[in-house]
Amino acid sequence: MKSAWVRTVCRLLVVLMVWTPYQVAQAGMIGTDQAAAPSSQADRAAVLSFVSRADVAGQLQSMGLDAATAKDRVAAMTDAEVAYLAGRIEQVPAGADTAGVILLILIIAAIWWVWKR
Amino acid sequence: MGLETLTHLGRKTARNARLIAGVLVCVYTVALSGCASLWPQTAELRRALPQGIPEKTELREVPFFPQEEYQCGPAALATVLSASGSRVAPEDLVAQVYLPERKGSLQVEMLAAARRHGRVSYQLAPRLEDLLRELAAGNPVVVLQNLGVSDGWHYAVAVGYDYDSGMLVLRSGTTERDLLPFTAHEVVWKRSGYWAMVVLPPDRIAATADESRWLSAVAAMERTGDEANARLAYGTFLKRWPDNVTAAIGLANAHYALGALPDAERVLRDAIKRAPDSVIVLNNLAQTLSDQGKNEEALPLIERAVERTGTTSSPYSKAVLETRDTIRRRLAGK
Repeated sequence: MKSAWVRTVCRLLVVLMVWTPYQVAQAGMIGTDQAAAPSSQADRAAVLSFVSRADVAGQLQSMGLDAATAKDRVAAMTDAEVAYLAGRIEQVPAGADTAGVILLILIIAAIWWVWKR
Repeated sequence: MGLETLTHLGRKTARNARLIAGVLVCVYTVALSGCASLWPQTAELRRALPQGIPEKTELREVPFFPQEEYQCGPAALATVLSASGSRVAPEDLVAQVYLPERKGSLQVEMLAAARRHGRVSYQLAPRLEDLLRELAAGNPVVVLQNLGVSDGWHYAVAVGYDYDSGMLVLRSGTTERDLLPFTAHEVVWKRSGYWAMVVLPPDRIAATADESRWLSAVAAMERTGDEANARLAYGTFLKRWPDNVTAAIGLANAHYALGALPDAERVLRDAIKRAPDSVIVLNNLAQTLSDQGKNEEALPLIERAVERTGTTSSPYSKAVLETRDTIRRRLAGK
């Protein structure tokens, strides 16, 4: 019961942290990101991006990052990247380690290249 | 042993040898014809060296960071960041790309983290030829390979190639100069959808850069709030593609953010000649002029912007109306 509460509070905190704007827009100037991706539903897109960012930050946190680190990392992503990651952090590849390359492939591959050159 | 037995033995060996040779020829034929479909791009490449690149190249000055366990992401990123002139060690990047629970680093984060160091990160088109072109232009390339049966994802940095022997040179894991045949590389690289990225300083453009995708890469860097590097990157972009209005808007915004209003004004005045109907250019120029006290000149510009947004439900209506209010208020206050 207590841990459920703690989890809820944590999630709320993540959302609140993500809520703070990433890019303080210059007063009066229209930003380049808006120019690059004009949308007739700009507000809707902004809200969606917002929710996705909170979602991705929360997932990163559940994978061993602290809240501030997760927030900084999401901040460096574009909207498209956030949308891509949202909900699939566990499935996308995570580059990690060298494993042995299958020797046979190496040999056949080398022969094939040299073959009749 | 009689002569007859010897002859028999000889005949038997000969038959065996013929059999073995036959089997080998079969295996080769199958392997060689069948394998080409395992590495379609290498097969294509083998026909001829792509135009305009040398037979071989190697970026020997690219540093090497032998990776710690599971830390090929930070190691690969440190390699290309250092090569781009940013002094950074893999340890500094662990907090920016490593994901403890996944024991690895995500592709998106590799791209995103480079931006935090004032660099433009760019995902290459999924082509072996493009990889070689970047190497020929002096840019080391991070590639994502899958070396395992199912989940052996690994980042390595390509630093050179030799077309004649069909070899790629990589900084990989704990090997400083890993030689991998194009074919073998394609087999392990194909599994990531030929994922590759370059990391460049803001005053350079990738050899295989596409205009709109490079612009997105620069805008993504600007997003991290590094205005000085964004200004440099947009400036570099406009030297290559001078007609791009969005890049001009980006350059002007970076000037504006850095307080260089006359520079922002100059860029926007230039842009408005090419895009007289752009609401964003009109709005931003009006704002820039107004901030310099040139409200009389700003007013007709913002009125034009309001006119343009009035006819359609433009996403910029709100911003434009706010700018007009500001300008009117400033004029009235005089």
